[in-house]
Amino acid sequence: MTRKFLPIAVWILVIAAAAVVISRTRFSADLSAFLPRQPTAAQQLLVDQLHDGVVSRLVLAGISGAAPDQLAGASRALSERLRRDGRFVRVDNGDASQTERESAFVFDHRYALSPAIDAQHFSAASLRAALEDALELLASPAGLAAKALVQADPTGEVLLVTDRMAGAGHPATHDGVWISADATEALLVLQTRAPGFDIDTQEATLVALRAAFDEVRRAAGNAGLTLALTGPAVFAVQSRAGIKGDAIRFSSLATAMVALLLSITFRSPRALALGMVPVVSGATVGIAAVSLRFGEVHGITLGFGATLIGEAVDYAIYLFMQTDARRGAGGTLERIWPTLRLGVMTSICGFSALLLSGFPGLSQLGLFSIAGLVTAALVTRFVLPSLLPSRFAITGVERPGAMVRRAFERARVLRPLIALAVVVALAVLFSRDRLWNDELSSLSPVRTSDQLLDQRLRGGLGAADVRHLVVARATGPDEALALAEKVGVALDRAQADGYLAGYESPAQVLPSGRTQLQRRDSLPDEATLRRNLDTASAGLPFRKGTFEPFIDAVRQARDAPLLDRAALAGTAFGIRLDALLAHHAGGWSAMLPLTGVTDPAGIARALAGLHDAHVILLDTKAESDALYGTYLRDALLLSLAGAGAIVILLGATLRTPRRVLAVCMPLAAAVLVATAALVALGQTLTIFHLVGMLLVVAVGSNYALFFDRALVDGIEARTALSLALANTTTVIGFGMLAFSDAPVLVAIGSTVGVGAFLSLVFAAALAPREAVRS
Amino acid sequence: MTSGARRELLRVALATTLIALGVRTAPAAYADTRWTLPRMMEGFAAVTSARTRFVERKFLHMLDRPLESSGTLAWDAPSRLEKITLQPKRERLLVERERVTVERGTPPKRRTLALGDIPLLRAFIESIRATLAGDPDTLQRFYEVTLEGTAEHWTLVLRPSDSRTKSLVHQIRISGAHATIATVEIEQADGDRSVMTMVRDDP
Repeated sequence: MTRKFLPIAVWILVIAAAAVVISRTRFSADLSAFLPRQPTAAQQLLVDQLHDGVVSRLVLAGISGAAPDQLAGASRALSERLRRDGRFVRVDNGDASQTERESAFVFDHRYALSPAIDAQHFSAASLRAALEDALELLASPAGLAAKALVQADPTGEVLLVTDRMAGAGHPATHDGVWISADATEALLVLQTRAPGFDIDTQEATLVALRAAFDEVRRAAGNAGLTLALTGPAVFAVQSRAGIKGDAIRFSSLATAMVALLLSITFRSPRALALGMVPVVSGATVGIAAVSLRFGEVHGITLGFGATLIGEAVDYAIYLFMQTDARRGAGGTLERIWPTLRLGVMTSICGFSALLLSGFPGLSQLGLFSIAGLVTAALVTRFVLPSLLPSRFAITGVERPGAMVRRAFERARVLRPLIALAVVVALAVLFSRDRLWNDELSSLSPVRTSDQLLDQRLRGGLGAADVRHLVVARATGPDEALALAEKVGVALDRAQADGYLAGYESPAQVLPSGRTQLQRRDSLPDEATLRRNLDTASAGLPFRKGTFEPFIDAVRQARDAPLLDRAALAGTAFGIRLDALLAHHAGGWSAMLPLTGVTDPAGIARALAGLHDAHVILLDTKAESDALYGTYLRDALLLSLAGAGAIVILLGATLRTPRRVLAVCMPLAAAVLVATAALVALGQTLTIFHLVGMLLVVAVGSNYALFFDRALVDGIEARTALSLALANTTTVIGFGMLAFSDAPVLVAIGSTVGVGAFLSLVFAAALAPREAVRS
Repeated sequence: MTSGARRELLRVALATTLIALGVRTAPAAYADTRWTLPRMMEGFAAVTSARTRFVERKFLHMLDRPLESSGTLAWDAPSRLEKITLQPKRERLLVERERVTVERGTPPKRRTLALGDIPLLRAFIESIRATLAGDPDTLQRFYEVTLEGTAEHWTLVLRPSDSRTKSLVHQIRISGAHATIATVEIEQADGDRSVMTMVRDDP
């Protein structure tokens, strides 16, 4: 009795301990798992930006489905609601009415904010040009309304500052709010308070946004109004929901089908339930192991890891199917254990390569798979037999088993076909210039239609393109602003050269103290200003005394205190500043998002002229592609090393080259042909395909090893049937995922579905004659 | 549009106006009838399209001589009024139903505003537009309306009824003959004024 219950007691204790560890585990979606252990400054910046940056909080919205008047009304109503909602730090629909407070701020501080202010700006010559422009303005239809502004601000600083603060892009307006050029869509720019990494809060924010829109639509009484949302936050939430939804939908369907198949075969609910015990135990211990080693478990590890230990489902099938009344479960295990053990060790060789990766994300995956598989195998070996009903045996398997065995026997006729398939596969794979897609967007679960929507709204709004960003880092906020101003000078030059359409800078909202001082010091004293004005207006029709408000304003500006962050608090500018000027552990970062970049190299040259290592032009796409490329190459090399380790392991165990070849050949051929088939069907390979291939090797090695074990006696009908059943469940389980919309699931599903099927067929066809004889 | 085509268009517009005027003024029986607002409005209502050049002079306190601008005006019933300023700087102002489109600068930048959002602008525009449309109700919604003079030489005096407009505009005086406008004079509350004079392209 002790002998029987000791393993169960150990198992329960281990699982309980693992459960305790898991209950204290932090599950992260932290992108730093995808950073190499020694990241470059740009890589670190990239991850920071994705994690918490300005652009990761951006939501672009479009309202369509009504006449322009109604769209404008809906845009106003929605903005009004969202501005009251604390979840948004910026709600911009182009509506000028909200900015009365901001207009007053710009007017009051125009001489501190205007980039045009320098020692020459109020010289007689400059004033002359300004007064001539003012006359033109007065002559225009807007003239009667502009009278007061001309008197207080003849040089037009308010207009200049307002224009620059409006950002680089100026969409068309309709009834004062932004609208697309064809007037079919009202446009809004929103910024969430929740940072990019906090997908839960971002999701709640988007739900609140949609609810607010529903209220607006109800109030408008137009059911045709539709809201389109895009932006990094929307993508993140959508893809998570999409993958989650698809994974749940397709996995439940697959699980139901597999369960049906197994319950027909096992005819025992208990056996069906017990079949899941090795996988669940493996996953539990796997998570706990990663948690203990890394201090946290990444979401990606859970998703992929569960896939990689899919092999463990087969263990129970092999045990149950091959158990007959004569030998009992214990006897069967003793017989098949060496094969299973070798299969597990083969898989471990494959996965341990991942463990050594320089990316924490990959090494977590490796550890999870190894710990999970070892646990699953041990549970199958020592726990399952005790839990099975005594005299458990599946009956009625002889006839179908014999049929499968005959099919295996005849599979040899496929050999020439396999040879041909391998040749064609090699031809396909070598004919591709770019077999592996090393662009990060290839992993993007974002649908093409959503990408088009994003381009449309972004284009319509002239919003920052999310791709290019200049980051200027310094010790304090004022130093960061000063650096941002230097960057701004370089960017202005680059803009004049046509390298970009525009940029945003925190210094546009709050100039550095130094710049404010310079501007203040360059304001002339009253006597000088009066003299210059007199000279400038000679011959112009302005009456004496017209510009007294202007003279007063300049006098006051000369005595005004400098603006600081506190002065902006509570205004829209304060919020904008907070988004563009961020405090972090090492100091302060000013962020300057770029718009309409046409020549990144030209911009880089302009910035290089600053000779400042604290200024970095971040091309988030190039940088993340490079990062992913490294990640992918790392994983590929390690997988190749894993394959080498498998060959060495098999050589040491099976001893003869013929047996090693008989095990390795079908696997290699299956991976090659499956991959080539997917490539020929138009998929470019991503890291998800690689994960799929690892799983094909893990699952397929068991098939080949069972054929190898049958070398002495020929394969038994029960064994043949267990292989067919294990294979069918794998093909159903993964093949199902290939019908999903999410590229991740399609890649893994199609690779494993096709690869596992080919592994079994090839293993049977390439098995030595004596292994499959009746 | 070539200048030939534009001239052709103007001729057609002018012809339409003249025909409309002819219909209204032909019967001698009307000549000695009293000139009233309804009668005048009926005349304008019959004109569906009109084109003219204008010269506008602004008399501002801050300036010791008037500012002059000029361009073209086009009217198409029931609601389209287009003012293109050509001198000193090109600018296009288009009013259509409840919407104002402004195009200015090089390259031209377009802004569209709702008339209802800017009461002052609305009052300005309706003074001319409602007159051209022959729509006394709209005129009277924004202004106290007085008509002086005869059919051959009348003056319409519009005083804003809304207090906000009143604080900016003292009155608008529109003068003309039959169903054509000759001048529009806007007197601001601070004493500044602008006078727009229509220049007829006589064939």
